[in-house]
Amino acid sequence: MAVVGALVAAGALALASCGSGEPAGTAGQTAGATTAAPRIAAVIKGLDNPFFQTMKQGIDEQAKTGGVQVTVQAANAITDTTGQADKLDGLAGQDFSCYVVNPISGTNLVQGLAKLSALGKTVVNIDSPVDAKAAESAGVEPATYIGTDNAEAGALAGRRMGELLRGGGQVAVVGGIAGDVTSGARVEGFQRGVPANIKVVQTVAANWERQAALTAATDLMRAHPELKGFFVANDDMGLGVARAVANSGKAGQVKVISVDGIKDALEAVKAGTLDGTVAQYPYTIGVMGVEACQAAAAGKRLPPNVKAPVEMVTKDNADQALAATPKPFGEYDDPFKALIQ
Amino acid sequence: MSVAARLKDPAFWAEWAALAGLIALVIVFQALNPTFLSPGNIASMLVAAAILIILAVGQTFVIATAGIDLSIASVMTMGAVAFGLSYTAGWGLGPACLLAVAAAGVAGAVNGMIIAWGKIADFIVTLGMLSAASGLALILADGKPVTIVDPVLLRLSTGGFGIFGWTFLIALAVAVIAHVALFRTRFGTHLLATGGAPESAAAMGISTRRIKIAVYSISGALAGLGAILLVARVGAAEPASNTSFLLNSVAAVVLGGVSLFGGRGTIVGPVIGALLLTALVNGLTLLGVAQFYQPLAVGIVVVLAALMTRFQK
Repeated sequence: MAVVGALVAAGALALASCGSGEPAGTAGQTAGATTAAPRIAAVIKGLDNPFFQTMKQGIDEQAKTGGVQVTVQAANAITDTTGQADKLDGLAGQDFSCYVVNPISGTNLVQGLAKLSALGKTVVNIDSPVDAKAAESAGVEPATYIGTDNAEAGALAGRRMGELLRGGGQVAVVGGIAGDVTSGARVEGFQRGVPANIKVVQTVAANWERQAALTAATDLMRAHPELKGFFVANDDMGLGVARAVANSGKAGQVKVISVDGIKDALEAVKAGTLDGTVAQYPYTIGVMGVEACQAAAAGKRLPPNVKAPVEMVTKDNADQALAATPKPFGEYDDPFKALIQ
Repeated sequence: MSVAARLKDPAFWAEWAALAGLIALVIVFQALNPTFLSPGNIASMLVAAAILIILAVGQTFVIATAGIDLSIASVMTMGAVAFGLSYTAGWGLGPACLLAVAAAGVAGAVNGMIIAWGKIADFIVTLGMLSAASGLALILADGKPVTIVDPVLLRLSTGGFGIFGWTFLIALAVAVIAHVALFRTRFGTHLLATGGAPESAAAMGISTRRIKIAVYSISGALAGLGAILLVARVGAAEPASNTSFLLNSVAAVVLGGVSLFGGRGTIVGPVIGALLLTALVNGLTLLGVAQFYQPLAVGIVVVLAALMTRFQK
């Protein structure tokens, strides 16, 4: 909204400046560690989102099992690009040997990473990729990239929608913030994954907010009375859409599939209010990030591109998923495990 | 004032810019898509507008004293988290609701006291509270949403009287009480005087400090009420930021013809402003306007309505 846009900018500024008072890290403790063990710093996205809290949990857990020191810093919010860059800069000046980064945008950390690459530090890129072109021109060479393929997650949801709606029909898509890369990739993947007899009639943006998604879904069902399904770009919004479907008395008739696999969503899938969620495993991404640093410190060659697991959770396996969360319930490939043993 | 005199008063037209805009929008959307004015759609629009109406009323009190409450949405988030914590701790619905309103009201009172006694600009203090309250919400909730399943809340969010959902009726009641408080009580007169001419108000013996503390407490408490409706609506207490509510509450008040310099305003105006913003997004969705064009359209309408206010003056 143009008239109050300045307020957002000012608000973001305030949030960023409030965060700078936090302790910058625990470099003092790690300085005396042995040379074989990596001294790891991790910069991830905002901890106001359960996804990144789980990622931090994975990082901390692997640090404990591996017996290595990790300092984790997070952006203040999922939109705080400059604040995140400042945090990386703060950590870059300290004595860490390996940096695990999950940049908010493709380019917001490139400058800080360029400095690190020049110093010969190991950079492990997790979750959101650093923009390849920007990285190349700045001389940044991440040792490895570990991430979830959001398009693949969307495609899984699309195929599942096809199974649920065998006869085909109209579906609508509820995305995150308009123009958001993650949301865009999931939606694109979904459109690729659905069979030809399912038509996406409209795509709306609900800003990753449950309330906004509820309102949008209500409007969409009004606009398209024939609507048979929703694909929602994350679970939080998915729960809002499921609520809208129930409020309109269309529970069971209109299918809702979302992405993330947060605990509330798994429970909703088990209860049948949500028809499915594509679970991604930020916990595993966090674990692998630390493992990659350990492997690099041991002088191993890292695989350049590692895919974290993605699983389709339906009513049939919701119990299994709930029991295992935040870890994946199925088998998955972790190439770093072998390197550090 | 007689009807004729009112019609000649430019301020009267400034106040009704939102209504003119709303009517224009309704005509356009209805012409393009007949489902727009179907009873079902009107009902869902009114329910969707309820929280925004309550926040806009709170914001109006503050802006009428030439202040601004930038913390309104994050205080609401904090209220929602307080509700969630006490509800899951087994406090029951009533006490949890009271705590939500009280916690948010206290945050508002703190705003007011710092502004009144510390003599710091409203903008800065509430900007600080915006960050502090959202931080507190994250800390208390440990960043995680809490699912709230309560039959009363569910009925509150889904039931209603005809096309008027309960939550909308609550918002309407809040607006009526606010209107009476602002225009039929001594408190309201003092409030508008504090906003319009603080020096003369002080000279007349009005405690402008007390008024400031009162308006921010009201704004906070209404944010707490909004928090309860939010929890009822989405069925969860979430520490998420809800930034769009802040922007929309300010936009609704501006659309409603309330002067940002204080001393002049209505309650009806911001209520219509909130309805206009909700109707706009609803209509654009019904028409299938592509998602990227929606923020642009909202921005244009807000600025146009503000311009309309300007011309009338």
